[in-house]
Amino acid sequence: MMETWDYKPTDDFDKTPIERLSVFPRQPDMFWYGVRFVVHVFLRAWLKVYHRYRVKGREHLPKDQPFVMVANHSSHLDALCLLSALPLTSIQKTYPAAAKDYFFTTLPKVAFSAIVVNAMPFDRKENPRESLDVCRELLATPGHALILFPEGTRSTTGELAPFKPGIGFLTAGTNIPVVPCYLDGAYRAWPKGAWIPRPRKLVLRIGAPLSFADFPADKDGAKRVAAALEEAVRNVGRGFSPPLTWGAG
Amino acid sequence: MPARFVLYETLRLCDCETHAVFESQVIRIYLAIAVGILAFAGTAIVLLKFVFKKNAEHAWRSFRGWLIMIPLIVGAILLGREATIIFLGLVALYGFTEFARATGLYRDWLITGLVSLGIIALTVFTLISSPEEPRVLGWYGMFMALPVYVVAGILLMPILRDRTKGQLQVIALGVVGFAYIGWMFGHLAFLANGRNGAGCILFLLFAVPLCDVAAFTFGKLLGRHKMRPNISPNKTWEGSLGAFAVGMALPWVFRFSLEGFGTRELILAGVIVGIGSQLGDLSISVIKRDIGIKDMGTLIEGHGGVLDRIDSLIYVAPLFFHMTRFFVGIQ
Repeated sequence: MMETWDYKPTDDFDKTPIERLSVFPRQPDMFWYGVRFVVHVFLRAWLKVYHRYRVKGREHLPKDQPFVMVANHSSHLDALCLLSALPLTSIQKTYPAAAKDYFFTTLPKVAFSAIVVNAMPFDRKENPRESLDVCRELLATPGHALILFPEGTRSTTGELAPFKPGIGFLTAGTNIPVVPCYLDGAYRAWPKGAWIPRPRKLVLRIGAPLSFADFPADKDGAKRVAAALEEAVRNVGRGFSPPLTWGAG
Repeated sequence: MPARFVLYETLRLCDCETHAVFESQVIRIYLAIAVGILAFAGTAIVLLKFVFKKNAEHAWRSFRGWLIMIPLIVGAILLGREATIIFLGLVALYGFTEFARATGLYRDWLITGLVSLGIIALTVFTLISSPEEPRVLGWYGMFMALPVYVVAGILLMPILRDRTKGQLQVIALGVVGFAYIGWMFGHLAFLANGRNGAGCILFLLFAVPLCDVAAFTFGKLLGRHKMRPNISPNKTWEGSLGAFAVGMALPWVFRFSLEGFGTRELILAGVIVGIGSQLGDLSISVIKRDIGIKDMGTLIEGHGGVLDRIDSLIYVAPLFFHMTRFFVGIQ
């Protein structure tokens, strides 16, 4: 008799279509890929026309390996702007980490986060360690990228808040490139509490990638990585790009 | 001319243009039958639950599923030919997604995407007319030839990617997915182009589930001998014979919607519905058993996936279509 084939149904096979939205890692789904693609085409057009969105330093994005983008966080536009800086072909495998306690609560929010933003539910309150493990797994798969806002929440003043060490736990002692980005104008365009975005100009500056292979993979190292990245994002915001290699200091 | 007459004349004019049957008496009779069956089943479930205090949970869930499905499909048919074709196209597309998710084919986005495009193309060729015969609804030649192009396209994918490992499996799954869910089921949508499109579609949509119900009921009441214990342990020869008998009777019951059918065609329709619906059911069971799953999906509460619902139709629709086309004529 012939050897039998090994079928592998999806991991979320017994979930209903609605339940499936909050399952992560998300299973490939041609339908949602298509919807996401179309939405992002329009989103890009809207950012360009309504916000006169511009991206500087696109050449700094790593091309052939998984990477992390970190940026300042002052509005709901941030993740969409960072996604729009990437080629359309890579949005299906780029996951902005989004607070599970905020973005994965009600169905409209879940649908928006999962379908449009392609967000990864990050459990910042109860189990950040597990969420970091998921991030680590993602970054081990070729072609994937992660968008993180290490401030942990939207800034209420538009100023950069201190970075949380999570990003450090993820990248200290590894070769994963971390791309510091600074989005300018998002706070004026859509501050926390405002209903709809205003037509303010948005500029995204992308800095040169850093890697933290020389940093110890412990709590202290993580804090130093977070501090270094905070400084890097601040510098990118001022228009400097940090050096390509970053010593252990 | 009185206003009512004008309206009537306009309607008649529309009738001629959009193929009469979609606004005819036939739909109204089926609508009445649907309401009747739903009312009867609803009453039976209420009786079971509150008078006889039986556990009717499963029946109730299944009933609720029908309460959603019947208005959807009847609504599509009432809206006309185009709505019916597009609705059935979406059903096929979703059915294929379920198939891809169950078999693991969905991981190959190129082949999944190609088959999905093939199903969309099939729907388009069902909607438009051939440039050679612009007055005939549906591009029959292209509809029949499309599997050739889709199979050729599927075979092309591994070549484009210069890949061999596991490729026969994805090719085979893609071909089955298109031919079985897209193309065979697509015949149901193509029936909408017929002179008597709505009548034939409604006949199949009613007769096939009724056969399933008959198989289930006769099996429950009289079932002794297992038919295919490996594939579907609950199916019995007694249930199957009961379903066949009901299937043979149904074309006569629904004769009003089968315009142009003589005795021979009615017998053939009965054989196709009576046997085909059971074979369709068994064939999806083979797939499910081989994969090791219970249902193909979760979309319809109490019914499983779309494929679990349309399994019999997939088998019956093309056989019925070609029988009708040969003996009665579709256009």
